[in-house]
Amino acid sequence: MRQGILFIILLLLLPISVAVQDLLPAIPPFQGRVQLLPVVFCFGVMALPLVPSLYFALATALVQGLVLLQIQSGQVELGLTVPVVFFLTWAILLQMASEATHGMRWEVHALGSAAVTLTLLGIEFLVLCVKRGGLPLEMTVLLRVVIPSVAALLIAPLLYFALRKLVPVFLEENPLPKKPNFSR
Amino acid sequence: MKKIQIATLVVFAVLAIAFCLLESGTLSWLQSGLLGVMSPISRSGSAVKSSIGTLGKDLMTLDQLQAEYERVLSENRKLRAENNGLRDLQQDNDHLRQVLGYRERSSFRLVPALVLGHDAGVWWSTIKINRGSADGITPDMPVITDKGLVGKITAVSSNLSEVLLVTDENCKVAAKVEGTKEQGISAGSRDPVGELRLTFLSKLADLQPGQKVYTAGVSGGIFPSGIALGTVKSFHARELDGEAILEPSADLGALEEVFIVTGAK
Repeated sequence: MRQGILFIILLLLLPISVAVQDLLPAIPPFQGRVQLLPVVFCFGVMALPLVPSLYFALATALVQGLVLLQIQSGQVELGLTVPVVFFLTWAILLQMASEATHGMRWEVHALGSAAVTLTLLGIEFLVLCVKRGGLPLEMTVLLRVVIPSVAALLIAPLLYFALRKLVPVFLEENPLPKKPNFSR
Repeated sequence: MKKIQIATLVVFAVLAIAFCLLESGTLSWLQSGLLGVMSPISRSGSAVKSSIGTLGKDLMTLDQLQAEYERVLSENRKLRAENNGLRDLQQDNDHLRQVLGYRERSSFRLVPALVLGHDAGVWWSTIKINRGSADGITPDMPVITDKGLVGKITAVSSNLSEVLLVTDENCKVAAKVEGTKEQGISAGSRDPVGELRLTFLSKLADLQPGQKVYTAGVSGGIFPSGIALGTVKSFHARELDGEAILEPSADLGALEEVFIVTGAK
């Protein structure tokens, strides 16, 4: 039940994060944009158990895919397949990271947010290059990928501690696995 | 693994595959729905942002307000005078066009809209505006400012629309260069530097920096003829054609209000 409420709160945060990131000004120089959706996604998949986190990844993919949807002459430029595969892969990786560190850690969340942002923008760019042809790897392109990732790294702890305070009841640390007892 | 977990994973797999197989029509419909959900958040967020931005401006002394009022009054008189002059010019222009048998193409029906925000997508240049299907807006309608062309509508919900800017690689516009017979196709670039590339020009075109470029208004196209698109910054010949780099006429980085062209008058 409590996990269900957390899941709904996180789902509501997805469109809110997209609307807020659109309102934020570009980061000078090179007009880098802050990406909040990957930060919320990382928090969600690390806070939820495996199966709900997969559903949350699917919802994130749907929102991200629809936000970036461009239909040119009836052809979809970046459909939902790439976001679905991308976010599911990261959901599984972040679940594994969460398990390896015995529960949610803000450091893992921050690094995960930066890594998800970096790979998301990189993959979007590569898919566009495949669809449109050409691979203009210039410094501005690299900075447009790196600047939002650094911004995600810095913003992630703020969001982590804000959400953790808001919904403490849902975020119980996973206890360390009990050591086997061999004493008779 | 429990049966319920297996069942939820099966449902999940079916949903994931279904999402991947959605066609453009369904995706467009879903996108419209998402824009509808985001509309109240974007609108209220934009209003809050605007209030914060104008907070300093509101705090003026009476003397400053009086000075501002006098400045605005004087500017209003000047603009009225200019407008009267332009009206005369417009009448002359209309008369000449009628004489020459050309269709009047410079008068549009315009719907004003406020820019709610620049989309955070890194590889697409899009903005959101506060008008949608409830205001008669449909995809592919041109969007302009008093300075020039801004872009075209790509997605519409009931009271929110997405505009693809002319600086996007996908926004292709047929254009002609002022004072020449040169015509080409303008588009933005993937490396988003805010410039336009006008390609398919003659290799021998004699273009000079500062020359104005306007929309060409080809048949079957969506952009009417004669809308300012940009100014030539540089020109270079390529292997098969000539390419000019343009500075967009409209200040796309500081858009606050735009007009949607819904048709001719």
